[in-house]
Amino acid sequence: MTLPLSGRIFIANDNICLIFKRSYKYIMYATKQPSLRINQADLQCKEGCGFYGNADWDGYCSKCYRNHMEQARRKKLKQAANAQSGHQGESSKSQVSGFTKFEEKKRQQTDKKTKYFKSLPVFKKTSSAKDIGKPEKYAGLRQSNDPDADKLKTEFLSKYKYLGDEIRRDFLRFSDSFIRQILEDTNVKPVDELAEIAQKRYNVYNTRINSYHLYQQVSAEVRAELEDFLEKYTMTALYTSLFCPSSTNDEDKDLSIQDRIRKLTWVNAHHLDCCISETSLEVRDLVYTAINDLLGMDSVKAPQEKLQCVVKCCRSVVEVLQHCQGGPVSADEFLPALIFVVLKANPARLKSNILYVTRFCKESRLMQGEAGYYFTNLCCAVSFIENLTAESLNMPEQEFQSYMSGEMTTVSAWDSALVACEGMHQLCEHLSLLNNLNERNISIQEEKNKLMEEMNALKEDIKRKVSSVLESTPLVIKPRKSISVTDEKPSGGSLLSNIAIATHNSENIDKTKLTLDLTPCIKFPCIIEDNIEEDNVLKPSLSADLLSPFEQSFEGTTPDDNSILGLSKVNYDIDLSDLSAENSMAEALTPEKRFSPTPSYTPDPFSPVGTTCTITQQPLIPSSVPLQMTVQKEPQQIKDDFVAPFLEDLTRETAEETLLDKIEATPTINLPPPINPIKTEYSGFSKQGWKIPSIPCNTGDYSSLSSQPGTSKQDE
Amino acid sequence: MSTGPYNYSYIFKYIIIGDMGVGKSCLLHQFTEKKFMADCPHTIGVEFGTRIIEVSGQKVKLQIWDTAGQERFRAVTRSYYRGAAGALMVYDITRRSTYNHLSSWLTDTRNLTNSSTVIFLIGNKCDLEGQRDVTYEEASKFAEENGLLFVEASAKTGDNVEEAFLETAKKIYQSIQDGRLDLNAAESGVQHKPSQPGRNNLSNDQQTNRDNCAC
Repeated sequence: MTLPLSGRIFIANDNICLIFKRSYKYIMYATKQPSLRINQADLQCKEGCGFYGNADWDGYCSKCYRNHMEQARRKKLKQAANAQSGHQGESSKSQVSGFTKFEEKKRQQTDKKTKYFKSLPVFKKTSSAKDIGKPEKYAGLRQSNDPDADKLKTEFLSKYKYLGDEIRRDFLRFSDSFIRQILEDTNVKPVDELAEIAQKRYNVYNTRINSYHLYQQVSAEVRAELEDFLEKYTMTALYTSLFCPSSTNDEDKDLSIQDRIRKLTWVNAHHLDCCISETSLEVRDLVYTAINDLLGMDSVKAPQEKLQCVVKCCRSVVEVLQHCQGGPVSADEFLPALIFVVLKANPARLKSNILYVTRFCKESRLMQGEAGYYFTNLCCAVSFIENLTAESLNMPEQEFQSYMSGEMTTVSAWDSALVACEGMHQLCEHLSLLNNLNERNISIQEEKNKLMEEMNALKEDIKRKVSSVLESTPLVIKPRKSISVTDEKPSGGSLLSNIAIATHNSENIDKTKLTLDLTPCIKFPCIIEDNIEEDNVLKPSLSADLLSPFEQSFEGTTPDDNSILGLSKVNYDIDLSDLSAENSMAEALTPEKRFSPTPSYTPDPFSPVGTTCTITQQPLIPSSVPLQMTVQKEPQQIKDDFVAPFLEDLTRETAEETLLDKIEATPTINLPPPINPIKTEYSGFSKQGWKIPSIPCNTGDYSSLSSQPGTSKQDE
Repeated sequence: MSTGPYNYSYIFKYIIIGDMGVGKSCLLHQFTEKKFMADCPHTIGVEFGTRIIEVSGQKVKLQIWDTAGQERFRAVTRSYYRGAAGALMVYDITRRSTYNHLSSWLTDTRNLTNSSTVIFLIGNKCDLEGQRDVTYEEASKFAEENGLLFVEASAKTGDNVEEAFLETAKKIYQSIQDGRLDLNAAESGVQHKPSQPGRNNLSNDQQTNRDNCAC
């Protein structure tokens, strides 16, 4: 029994004092006295009229506040008028501006928004003489009419088509005049007066719709709908001018409450004695829904739409509570839960929205019905948050302060659930990402392996092909090199020199020079022996043949005499070469390839390979060109020895004119004369062959004979 | 005229106040969830916290607001009181403390509502006679001293719940008839009437009155 303590409490509460004496036994149930009492003095109007005041009205009651504002405005108007008309001194003017400056600044902001660019005096004038300003006002009206309002208008026209044109026209006329009036006054009157105008207008329309004969046939439901629609339409159209107007400090309030809520993030359901089980998944989902609904309030325009958002939010909260405890939900549980939701949601422009709804929603709507009730609860929640103290959370002041200053932090179940949830969420996301990456990695690896295999296969294939090609065409590549570097020139030289000799034969060419040219001639067959199998067969004979005539011709002392001998020998010789040529043909290995190197081998004086090949293959014209080209680069002596004289001699020779003509006409022009005639297969040549071969063969033999005895012997 | 949700002449707004856990919401539920009014065909009583009753032949829609009773919310719940025609002040007869707080509730109510607001004291949970902590007599005396209507009721059994709400409505209606209650005052006025032209004379009269006043 704590009698003295309880007694003290009761004394403070004089109304129940008498009970103190009567029932001691109940004292034990007495708890501490309500501490968050509303002081009567706080509620009274500042004016002392006996009515209750309001913080929003500077502590006045509604009536006194209005009077007060009216007086202030009249004073201001008067002063402004004086300053304008009386041309008073600067001093008095500045006095006026003391108050108006601020107002003006705000108005300028509004002006920017509504595109009214007017100076202050004009402003006053238009408010007094409305006719002047009207056209501009209409312009403003058009501008502030937002697309949503237009949409509503068309919706209205289609939805209430059955009401007939009269009613619809009446409705629109009324709503437009409503909008116009508000717009006219937007920059002149304080927002509270605008709210009053709006409320009056609502009432006027209510009267009109209930008394005007036009609406006689309209049912009560539709009337109510029309009234609602009026509110919706006009408020949507006026939203930009009436929501969070620049003449008020609504925005500051928004920021301060937002800041406040941010500071109170540590408050959890437990602090509020609210039974939301923060960890339950379903509950969390419902709380999320509630939060979303609450946040949606800022995105709609008409007051009733905003209210609808609040209702939806609150219904979700009720559902949450039903989930958590079951049974009917009482306000005792509901309000803390709503506070919790508001704290967690921290909606944008919360205060602006609340004030906007309070001002411009039909009053009756706020005083009754679900919407009104829930909105009232929301107001309570917000004001609780604004005035939240350590006491209201039942915690020591010190603890509260340390929470507020951020020294102490709690990990609430909600937060941790969120954190855990987010952590899990991230974990899952990362896992799936990893899986994805892994899969991609595997596929890349596979691709890589495949590519590797392909590459290897390709490599092998290429290797194989190359080797097969190499195997099948060893002749082509290797001999070329060796020939090109060392032997071709001399070999060609030998043949050509043969020709040259043949041609020069008649002119008695120096033997010494010829010998120089012909030295390699013997080498040529030898090298071919090494590399070419097919030629190997020929080789001995060839070499032998080549050598043998040489030797034989060599034995012959005079070229002129040896011509007959040489001819016979040469014939034999060429038969062999012809065979070899046919063999190479059989190989079908791009004979051109063999020749192609010839032009590239510029150092080769005579591109002899080409000439040798032309013997076997079709003779080529171009070979003559390289011949000349290369010849030009050649040392003078060779040129003199070989080409120039050769051609000149050809032209000169009278006996072989026919042959020369032929040579020039046909591609076989370059063909060394000694070889051609021996080809018995070629009918074209065979006919004239008798004459042709005789000449070069003789000369060739002769020249070789004259120059090459030593070398041929060496080879053997 | 159709008997829709608009078929009533008055709306009375009630608030239920009292400490936490005295059974405010249970009383409300007991009252609103009951749909036994034979002469009221519409059962749209689903509408949030409302019920339509009949007082002296007038259909009246009761709109009842539950309030949070926690001490900590006292300071911020004043907007509940706005426009309330009736206040049901509830305490728990088995918990002394709830009774002890009545005076502060009363003070708030008086401060925040207008003078014509009818305040009804309800001692709830009278079915728990064995645990009674507050005698009928002392509560009745308290009510008498403060000019309150008083009844002991049980939200559980439904005893006297109906009566409490109906009595309050009657009292309010009485004061309307007497002219003590100003229907035109929207702010402090406790009553709103949906339009029902031609439905009854009273409503039309009130309507015109209001219009004259407003314009």
